[in-house]
Amino acid sequence: MRCARRSIARSARRRGAEIRNWLHKRREYSRSASEAPDTESGLASTNGVFTKCEGCGQPIYEKELKARFNVCPHCQFHYPLPAPERVRLLADEGSFSERDAGMTAGDPLGFEDYREKLESAHEKTGLDDAILSGVARIGGHPVALAAMDFRFIGGSMGSVVGERITRTVEAAHDGGLPLVIVSASGGARMYEGIYSLMQMAKTSVALSRYMTGSSPYVSVLTDPTFGGVTASFGTAADVVIAEPGARIGFAGARVIESTTKERLPEGFQTAEFQKEHGLVDRIVHRLELKDDLERFLGFLT
Amino acid sequence: MILEFEKPVRELEARIAELHRLAGPNAELQEEISRLEDALDAAKRRIYSNLTPYQRVQVARHPDRPDFDRYRDALADDFYELSGDRLGADDPAVRGGLAKIGSRSVVLLGHEKGDDVNSRVKSNFGMAHPEGYRKAGRLYDLAERLELPIVSLIDTPGAAPARAAEERGQAWAISADLMALARVPVPVVAVVIGEGGSGGALAMCLADHVVMLENSYLSVIAPEACASIIFRDEKRAPEAAEAMKITARDLLAHGIADEVLPEPLGGAHNEPEAAVEAVVRAIEGTLSKLSRLGPESLVKNRYERYRRIGTHVTEGEMAGTRGPGE
Ligand SMILES: [Zn+2]
Repeated sequence: MRCARRSIARSARRRGAEIRNWLHKRREYSRSASEAPDTESGLASTNGVFTKCEGCGQPIYEKELKARFNVCPHCQFHYPLPAPERVRLLADEGSFSERDAGMTAGDPLGFEDYREKLESAHEKTGLDDAILSGVARIGGHPVALAAMDFRFIGGSMGSVVGERITRTVEAAHDGGLPLVIVSASGGARMYEGIYSLMQMAKTSVALSRYMTGSSPYVSVLTDPTFGGVTASFGTAADVVIAEPGARIGFAGARVIESTTKERLPEGFQTAEFQKEHGLVDRIVHRLELKDDLERFLGFLT
Repeated sequence: MILEFEKPVRELEARIAELHRLAGPNAELQEEISRLEDALDAAKRRIYSNLTPYQRVQVARHPDRPDFDRYRDALADDFYELSGDRLGADDPAVRGGLAKIGSRSVVLLGHEKGDDVNSRVKSNFGMAHPEGYRKAGRLYDLAERLELPIVSLIDTPGAAPARAAEERGQAWAISADLMALARVPVPVVAVVIGEGGSGGALAMCLADHVVMLENSYLSVIAPEACASIIFRDEKRAPEAAEAMKITARDLLAHGIADEVLPEPLGGAHNEPEAAVEAVVRAIEGTLSKLSRLGPESLVKNRYERYRRIGTHVTEGEMAGTRGPGE
């Protein structure tokens, strides 16, 4: 009895600390976000000021959502985060230096509608492709950093994503830097056919060589990450971190259901599910992610 | 099984067989037979030399197509099979072990599709679970330790899309194989003998030399799935197969495959001995070439081989890079 009471008290204390920490973070992020340019949250807006949360159904003040890097203030639901916001979340202020900007997709197969898709994705996001990459500092630690963007054709991996990931890995290799890649991807970019499949091989040869060294690779998996990205650099990491509730897997639930007629359990392929199955190391709240990475990197310097 | 486009050929063959049975010494019928045989020959040439990409996919999936066992028997006098992933399971969809090809010992592995209802179900139609990829990974390690070349025979619709596969880390198992193949310091030769379905195929064909049989294919996604996602209509699979450039000749042109082996007219299933023989010769030739390279050159060449593949366009640069060979 006493033992149980003590543990309840302990967990209440911990919870209290968590909440204080939260409030502190929230203020901190609100401050920095107000100076940032507006970016699309990726959410359906009800009236431009409030949006209804997919997770809890409560109205969220859009500005607040943005200030919290697209995490619902009520239920902590993590919405997809645009790559520039991700970089702003993780990199020390002013430390990010983009590399390989201006690299765009070719249309190797002349695939129907691909050009239009690329153009509208570019217009929507302002990005050249589904990725932002470069070097930065996280808590003072220099790192090579790449972040994918789900808004750009579903974060699909074509030649640009493959090449920029590879160059980021090579920069880490050459500079002896820790490597951090944040993934968000529906999988391969079918419009590039075999070239998209081969990006898995390309990123793997680079990563495999990098990992013969002694610098760490941390992969952060966000909602959703599937297919060719999980089956290559997404999971081949020293440390695999996932955001709460992120759906992560190889084949999507719908494909599995329609192929095998299996009934999938509640919470199938969520970050929590994958952690329970021993595949993910840590589940880290987005607003804790920078601190978490700093802590990890701190062990290695 | 008779493929739709093969029907005229099969009908002619049936008529010829029937006439043979009836003819005996009848000269008139003999003449008719030889006329039909000419027609058969012409029909075969007409149909088989102009297969569309999607028809080739169907040939690649043909149940009578020579499979792992068939090639293994032709390749190796002795095959010393090894089982299991050493983590709790053995996946019948992936086979592997030690084999002696000519005077050379190798680690031979490949997909198993099964050849009757029971074995097909047991091997999940060649769609491996994580255990299969971990078994492959274990064999890559073994090849490295024993300094033996790796020869893999690819024939899979793809990695199993299944609940159990996800629960046991399908993506993790595949990425581990890619990482292992990327740095294994022994020659790696891959032959796509049938279907090369996506990551499930790539986990066994990141190689120094990729051989494809003429009617095999290698694709990021099955044409049916591509059609249903991009065209929102599975029936447009033939168009998707065409658009994605997945045939052996396309991949050779794009520098992804290094060598295409012509198949007997109508596909490997019509004359398996010839197809098997061509594969055996290609593997022997490749192994002998690669055996001249040291471990460092092998890994370095493999790096560069894959490093080049991409079609991105960089500002200030002329154009994106292409695959090797371009
Ligand atoms: Zn909510």
